[in-house]
Amino acid sequence: MATVRQPRVETIIETAQEEAQRTQERIRKGIDILLARDEPPVGVTPKDVIYSRGTLRLYHYRPMTDEVYRVPVVFVMSLVSKPWILDLTHGQSFVEYMLTQGFDVFMIDWGIPRPEDKKLQFEDYVNDLMPDCFKHVQQATGEEEFSILGYCMGGMLALMYAGLNPDAPLKNLVCAATPVDMNGMGLFKNWQDPRYFDVDRLVDTVGNIPPEMMLRSFELLRPMDRWGGYIRLIDNLWDPQFVYGFRIMYKWTNEQIPFPGETYRQFTKELMWDNKLMTNSLTLAGKRVDLQAIKVPVLHAMAEHDHIAPFASTKPLTDLVGSEDKEDVILKGGHVSLVAGKNAVARLWPKVADWLSHRSV
Amino acid sequence: MAGQNGNSATETGVPDVMQMWRSWLGETERQLNSFFGEVVGTEQFARVSGNFVDGYAVVQRALNDNMERYLNTFNLPTHSDVVELGERLNNIEERIASLESTVRAVAEQAGIQASAPVTQLRPRRTRKPRPQN
Repeated sequence: MATVRQPRVETIIETAQEEAQRTQERIRKGIDILLARDEPPVGVTPKDVIYSRGTLRLYHYRPMTDEVYRVPVVFVMSLVSKPWILDLTHGQSFVEYMLTQGFDVFMIDWGIPRPEDKKLQFEDYVNDLMPDCFKHVQQATGEEEFSILGYCMGGMLALMYAGLNPDAPLKNLVCAATPVDMNGMGLFKNWQDPRYFDVDRLVDTVGNIPPEMMLRSFELLRPMDRWGGYIRLIDNLWDPQFVYGFRIMYKWTNEQIPFPGETYRQFTKELMWDNKLMTNSLTLAGKRVDLQAIKVPVLHAMAEHDHIAPFASTKPLTDLVGSEDKEDVILKGGHVSLVAGKNAVARLWPKVADWLSHRSV
Repeated sequence: MAGQNGNSATETGVPDVMQMWRSWLGETERQLNSFFGEVVGTEQFARVSGNFVDGYAVVQRALNDNMERYLNTFNLPTHSDVVELGERLNNIEERIASLESTVRAVAEQAGIQASAPVTQLRPRRTRKPRPQN
């Protein structure tokens, strides 16, 4: 028969002392958070701005090895998220990792759209700004060829560029959490039902979609996450590592940026409603984006439990491209943990580095 | 921490109340997210949210128009004026960038080298991958 052991007095005292210490830490860390003190620094990997145009900044990260792979990698960011998600902090930076693995890394940071940027369309990004950046990458490296790594909507822009420019000196294409089948976009698809959602009225009124609207729509995907997060934070306020991780993700989640109006209109009508990327019928400036014409090696990483770009929306990507050398990587986790955080360090980053290393000489 | 048999007992046999609370919190969050997910995934919600966005746009439009009118009345710059200024500045920046690019190209053709930023101290591009197993 099992016996119930009574807790020893010493154990109770130890536990009480530990809880008292933790309460002290909770109070101290709580004050730091409320006063926004000691915010964790992000985007700290050393870099130089080698080109700027409007709000766009093209970064060249300082190499961390004496020898690099011949073909540089250009990270193309999403239009609607801050780029430092791929360069969180020392030891948790995809950019830093790639640098230590011997890659020459660049990043296109679109910046925060200004009111006058409401006129920007996909054509401006894909046919003007991106080629301009690639030209500067070629000048900086002395190499004609380059690889692109696009995260989320950055991957969509990369696909559009590659589909419009099959003869471009693009060596490899890596996409991460990139949706192509908008019928799989779940709640976003529901909320933008053309019967009820008047995108023209919204864009004509506000121009760029306000960041608050972007934030609330992301929150609505999992409404309890914010409050559950706060409760967990209070529970773990004594743990500096937990608090550090929370503050970084809280900062990224809440620092939304406006969505350029005309791009949003295009995104809604041509992608969400007409699913033109999936049907290979998207045209930009009168020219068809032919994904079948993409012949470069393609690697697509997807997260099984991605609630922002659901797996159903990302899965068909490699079926759409005409490449022979193409590979899917399906990892557990969500939209952000796919590329940032502990799981990314252990899984995605080594995979991408290894895959690219054999194709960047 | 869960015990070896999967229950929440600590080594002393006392139930770990905090662990039970955390498990309950996680499960409740999951269930509530699932419930709300079903609610916001309905056609009715899509209609409601569409109406909300329309209403927001109507109110915002009225605010925009009234503010333009008031600011014009007091001979003050309006949002449209500022945006227009921004566009003109943007055009000027683009032209300057184009001029800079032309001047740089002409200078390079004439053999005049600009000072190189740090990133143009190019490392050797001869790295080879690890052999595949």
